[in-house]
Amino acid sequence: MNYRFQFGVVWDNLDELFAGALLTFQLGVFAFAGGALIGLVCASLKTYGPWPVRLLVNAYVVFITNTPALIQIYFLYFGLPEVGVRWSNEACLLIGLTLNAGAYLTLILRAGFLSVRVTEIEAGQTLGMSLVQQIRYIIVPHIAKSIYPALANFFIVVLVMGTSVGALIGVDELTGQAINLSSVNYRWLEYFTVVAGMYVVLTFIASIGLALLGRWAFRVKAKIF
Amino acid sequence: MAHLAVNDVRAKYGALEVLKGISFSIEKGEIAALVGPSGSGKSTVLRALMGLTPVTGGHVALAGDQLDYSNAKSVRAARDRMAIVFQQYNLFQNMTVMQNLTLAPLKIKRWPRAEVESEARRLLGLVGLGDKADAYSDQLSGGQQQRVALARALALKPQILLLDEVTSALDPELVNEVLDAVGKLAAEGMTMIIVSHEMAFVREVADKVIFMDGGQIVESGEPAALFDSPRTDRARDFFSKILRH
Ligand SMILES: Nc1ncnc2c1ncn2[C@@H]1O[C@H](COP(=O)(O)OP(=O)(O)OP(=O)(O)O)[C@@H](O)[C@H]1O
Ligand SMILES: [Mg+2]
Repeated sequence: MNYRFQFGVVWDNLDELFAGALLTFQLGVFAFAGGALIGLVCASLKTYGPWPVRLLVNAYVVFITNTPALIQIYFLYFGLPEVGVRWSNEACLLIGLTLNAGAYLTLILRAGFLSVRVTEIEAGQTLGMSLVQQIRYIIVPHIAKSIYPALANFFIVVLVMGTSVGALIGVDELTGQAINLSSVNYRWLEYFTVVAGMYVVLTFIASIGLALLGRWAFRVKAKIF
Repeated sequence: MAHLAVNDVRAKYGALEVLKGISFSIEKGEIAALVGPSGSGKSTVLRALMGLTPVTGGHVALAGDQLDYSNAKSVRAARDRMAIVFQQYNLFQNMTVMQNLTLAPLKIKRWPRAEVESEARRLLGLVGLGDKADAYSDQLSGGQQQRVALARALALKPQILLLDEVTSALDPELVNEVLDAVGKLAAEGMTMIIVSHEMAFVREVADKVIFMDGGQIVESGEPAALFDSPRTDRARDFFSKILRH
C-alpha cells in the first residue's frame, strides 16, 4: 500500500462538483415536489375514488414500487425512443424520479389520510365548521404532522439515491460529474472521497432544514441527528 | 313552552332502526339525564340532535323553532345553539388549549379576538385549567383534556350542552374533577342533557331522568322517584343492577 493521495486535481475541478451538487439538489427538490403532487391526487383517489379509479392507482403504485428506479428511467431513456418519444437525459431522469416518488408518496399520504380521527372531524362539525374549514383547520394539519417524518426521510432517499441514477444516463449531477472528472485522470479514490463528503453535507443540511421546518410548522419532535 | 321539545324522533343505521320514536322535553335551566343499558340509543339521541346521525322521522323544536335536519341551514342553527362533548376526548391535537377554545368563535363566529380570549380564559378558570392555555392536548391528562373539551363547547355560548359519558373513558381518580366542573355549570343554570353511568352524580344534579332501552324511552321522572321506585320491570331490573353496592 503506497498509494499517494493527490487531492490537487479535485480542488482544481471543485466548481464542476459544486455545479453537480446543485443539480442534484434541484433534481431532488423538483422530483419530490412533483411526486408529492401526484401522491396527493392518487392518495385522494385511492381513498375516496370509485373502484375502477382505485384499481388504476393501485396498479401504478404496485408497478412502480416493485421495479427498480433504474429500470423505470432506462425505460424512458432507451425504451421510449424506439416508439418515437425522445426526451433529453435530464428530462428522462426528472420524469422518472417524479413518477417513482409519486408512487411512494401515494402510500405515505394515504397512511396520513387514514390517520385522521373521525372524532376530531365530528368535533369540528358540531362547532359549526364548513367542509373547507374542517380540511383547513383539522385534516391538513393532522396529516402534515403525522406523515412529516416519513416525508422528510423520503426526501433524503430521493435526493441521494434517486438522483444518482442519473449518472447512468449521462446526467451531470453530483455522481455523474464525479465519474466524468475521475475518468479523465483516474483519481477515482480522491474524487469519490470528496463526493461522498459532499453528499453527507448535502443530506446533513437538508435534514437539519427539514427538522427545523417540522418543529416550527408542525410540532414534529424530530431528532436532528 | 319547552326550551327543547323532541317529538317521536327516529334514527337508523342502515336498516337498523336505533331510535324508535323518542319524545321528551326540557325547560331552560333544566338538566335531563339519559340512562339505560349499553346499546339502548343514548348516544344516538345526542348525535341526532347535533345532526351527526341522520334523523329519519319526528320533530325537534328548539326555543320554539322547528329544526329540519335535512336542511343544512337548520343543522347549522342546531349546532349554533347546542354543543356536545363526547366520551372520547376529541381536542384538535395540532392546536394549543387556547387555540382549541378560540378557533370556532374567531373563525366561524368572527367575534372580536380580545373578547374571545378573555372569555376563553374565564372558561379555563372555571374548569380549573387557568394555567394550561398554552399546552397541547398530548401534554394533558385525560381528565384535563375532557375539561378543555367542556370549556371549548362552552366557548360558543350554547343554549344547551350535551354531554355523552364524559367521564367513562377516565381513570377513577380523574372522574371527580370533571364531574365537579359539570356541577359548577349546573349551578350556573346551564341547560344540559347528560348521558352518564355515574348514578350518584345524576341523582344530585339532574331534574329529570329518562330511562331508555331498545331505542325507546321506557320511563322517565325525577331521579329519586325513578331510582327508588321504578314503575316498569325493565327499569327496576336495570337500576337494581347498577345501584346495588
Ligand atoms: N355507527 C354505527 N353504525 C351502526 N350501528 C351503530 C352505530 N353506532 C351505534 N350503532 C348501534 O346503535 C345502537 C344504539 O347505539 P348507541 O351508541 O346510541 O347506544 P348507547 O346507549 O349510547 O350505548 P353505550 O352506553 O354503550 O354508549 C346500538 O345497537 C349500536 O350497535
Ligand atoms: Mg353511548
